[in-house]
Amino acid sequence: MSLRLNLALLILPAALLLVMPGYADDNGPVIPPATYGDQCVADTDIMRKEHMSLLNHQRDETVIEGIRGEPFSLVSCVNCHAQNDNGGQPIRIDAKGQFCESCHTYAAVKIDCFTCHAALPEENAVIGSLQNNLPVASTYSNKQLLVMQSHKVAHKASHDYQRK
Amino acid sequence: MTTSVNNNSGGDQPQGSGNAQLARRRFLQKLGLMGAVAASYTLLEVQAKTAASSDKRWGLFIDTSKCSSGCDACVRGCNEEHGIDAGKDEHTRAQWIRKIDLTDNLTGAESSVPVMCQHCDSAPCVDVCPTGASFKRADGVVLVNKHTCIGCRYCMMACPYKARSFIHENLTDQKPSAPRGKGTVESCTLCVHRIDSDQNQQPACAVSCTDEAHSAIVFGDLNDPDSDISKKLKTVGGSQIRADLSLNTGVRYHGL
Amino acid sequence: MISGAGYFQPLKSAGNYLLWMALLALLVLAGGYCAYTMEHEGHHITGMNNSIVWGLPHVFAISLILAASGALNGATLSSVFGNKTYSPYARLSVVLSICLLIGGLIVLVLDLGRPDRLAVALTTYNFKSIFSWNIFLYTGFIAVGVLYLATMLEKSLQRFTQTMGVVALIWRIVLTTGTGSIFGFLVGRSALDSAILAPLFIALSLVMGSAVLALVMTWAGRWQSQTVSARTQHSFVRLLLWCVLAVLYFSIVHHLTNLYVAEHQSDEHNVLKGAFAVLFWFSHLALLGIVAALAFALKQGEGYLSTMKWHAVCAVSLIACTMILYAVIIGSQSTPQLLFPDKTITASTFGDGGIGPYLPSVWEWGLGIGGTALSLLLFGVVLRVLPITSTTQS
Ligand code: HEC
Ligand code: HEC
Ligand code: HEC
Repeated sequence: MSLRLNLALLILPAALLLVMPGYADDNGPVIPPATYGDQCVADTDIMRKEHMSLLNHQRDETVIEGIRGEPFSLVSCVNCHAQNDNGGQPIRIDAKGQFCESCHTYAAVKIDCFTCHAALPEENAVIGSLQNNLPVASTYSNKQLLVMQSHKVAHKASHDYQRK
Repeated sequence: MTTSVNNNSGGDQPQGSGNAQLARRRFLQKLGLMGAVAASYTLLEVQAKTAASSDKRWGLFIDTSKCSSGCDACVRGCNEEHGIDAGKDEHTRAQWIRKIDLTDNLTGAESSVPVMCQHCDSAPCVDVCPTGASFKRADGVVLVNKHTCIGCRYCMMACPYKARSFIHENLTDQKPSAPRGKGTVESCTLCVHRIDSDQNQQPACAVSCTDEAHSAIVFGDLNDPDSDISKKLKTVGGSQIRADLSLNTGVRYHGL
Repeated sequence: MISGAGYFQPLKSAGNYLLWMALLALLVLAGGYCAYTMEHEGHHITGMNNSIVWGLPHVFAISLILAASGALNGATLSSVFGNKTYSPYARLSVVLSICLLIGGLIVLVLDLGRPDRLAVALTTYNFKSIFSWNIFLYTGFIAVGVLYLATMLEKSLQRFTQTMGVVALIWRIVLTTGTGSIFGFLVGRSALDSAILAPLFIALSLVMGSAVLALVMTWAGRWQSQTVSARTQHSFVRLLLWCVLAVLYFSIVHHLTNLYVAEHQSDEHNVLKGAFAVLFWFSHLALLGIVAALAFALKQGEGYLSTMKWHAVCAVSLIACTMILYAVIIGSQSTPQLLFPDKTITASTFGDGGIGPYLPSVWEWGLGIGGTALSLLLFGVVLRVLPITSTTQS
């Protein structure tokens, strides 16, 4: 083998390690924990895999049919999942390393939702009541779970995520 | 497990609901959610989904005799509610409501009116929209679905009232209840986010007008003969802007 | 191919072909940059606003689309009406037509507020909207054009050329009508609420298409060391003359009827004496001048013009027609929408009752010119690849 080839064989994997740290040491994305509530609006596993279709479904229900106060509202995600900084001020949920961003960057997904939707929680949000009176899947599940099943298709990538 | 105790003993629960809860619980058990849900189970109410219904037709009644020329409380109320920055150039910023002062050509009588989306029954903006993003809800509210709006502005060409605004620049700090963003068209929503969630809520403009002690804007259900708005229309009467176009608007003016 | 056309071959790199292509590519790049900036910054950097919602990009796009339909003249005359004079230019005419349409559509798409949602536009339709129908008309036109071209290029298919020619002719008339109808049914804009617009658009399309085709014929001919024959030019002069007369006729009828209808008088005032007066009078006088020049040339016998003069005639026709479109599209928006017929507006926070402000920005010019350049660049590339240009004169 020529020297050049040898060098190339050496450098290539090193370069790969450098440019793809995610793959070099892949324990999944670092997802910040939820700020409020002790469980999500549906089973965590379902949320990981199906949140896009749930959100889309909710979006159409709210915008077109005017159905409100539902668990899969985008506002509610932000209310529970946006973190506070050390000074207690909320951080944009789409900021680097924050809830939606961390996972999406890892999965190379881009969303435009927060160019319109507020990325900060509501000021006097119903989080207090959410905490005590979680609108958990139970009350809503029947229809929504059917929706989930009908959408159970292409979300292969999301199956592997482990929360650190 | 407090919930199962409640269910089995009957307790103060009415009979029938126990069965329903049991059935639901079995369903949940299957999903393996049981443990997580049990703690908060009894606290939950099955919330009936209320969708916009064609039994209703929301509308506004505007009494121009009560509207005064210098007052723009409705505009400010609207801007505040939806996070609209009124400091920017008047031709590129969003204008959901605007105030127009008028002088009658014959009598010289002066009047002042707020003009917003007229929520037409046969809305030109809905007809022309290529993607169907511009649509009329079952209860008559004309809206833009900003998730499917491509920003072609054909609806703005078609609107006889100049009631729609295109967002010309990046926005930040939107209100959680009023998502808005660059490249899409928007207009008065009759504050659907308020009126949907609570039957007693009024659009922000009507509230501001009342707060200013003018009460020139009355919101209500045009289909309900007993609503304030229907009674007003019946007793004092109201006309449409550009009635010649036969658009059957949901916003009616008295004293135009 | 209908006989008399001689041999066709791909263009050999000759003369300043590469220079032209490089220049066009630069313009396309500049246009792309403008489009990117417009999308990134938002439309506030353009002259467009909530009063003038469609601006210069739309004037360019509609011009290109109309010219695309009109550029098919050469092919139609050749394969549908059997006019041998145009046979050597039939292929060129189809290719030009397709390229112009693509350029126009790209300008239209890049001006959208959310061009990234193009997929939505292509998958969800509201069949009440003329716009939706136009999406089919435009994509269909490209398909028909490609098939039409195929019947010319492929010997075994040449027996279908005439049929495809008829299909293309019908399609382009519907397409032009559809494009005119985008503006025709707008009840809220009195200046546009006129049935004359559809025939006006068809006439404009014929002039613009013929003029572009004529320019491009001499352009491509020069690289092939060909000149357009006197006979062809004579025929073109007559074609252009009639089309320009049609534009003048419909435009004048449009304005006269508007003057007659009381509720349109403020629109007319705006066009004839107000902000759009220069455009209006320049374009119409220029077209009158062209009519005079062409009629004079025909009277001289052969109808032969020097290449310089001929190019000038075509260029001025194009510019004048674009100006007429500008006055129709922008002028109709700048005239105030009449909300209160019996009242005078004394104050408004949104310019009600006043002329809407519009000054096109460099970004809009860049996008429009870039789209036009893209059409010509595509055209130039196809000329090199496919046997489009004829080596024999007619
Ligand atoms: C161009 C602006 C815009 C963008 C981009 C946008 N939305 Fe919305 N969205 C809206 C508007 C406007 C509403 C209606 C709000 C209302 O009626 O209260 C809405 C409502 C919703 C709702 C129902 C209300 C709620 O908070 O639950 C959901 C869910 C939603 N959007 C999801 C999404 C998702 C997911 C995305 C990204 C893929 C997205 N939206 C992107 C403008 C936008
Ligand atoms: C009541 C507060 C609350 C609301 C509202 C809420 N979540 Fe959650 N969410 C949580 C909690 C708590 C967890 C962690 C659950 C666990 O650890 O099992 C979680 C977990 C998740 C996870 C899994 C994260 C991981 O680490 O893998 C996803 C994805 C998620 N939520 C998405 C959403 C979306 C999308 C919405 C809006 C439709 C939403 N959540 C609304 C509280 C909430
Ligand atoms: C546990 C990781 C994870 C978290 C946390 C997460 N997402 Fe996702 N999201 C994904 C993955 C993976 C996809 C792509 C799924 C696919 O394409 O099948 C996705 C896709 C989406 C999509 C659809 C994008 C598209 O282009 O189709 C939306 C919308 C979305 N997420 C919204 C959110 C919002 C809003 C949040 C924060 C409240 C969030 N997600 C948090 C993993 C996550």
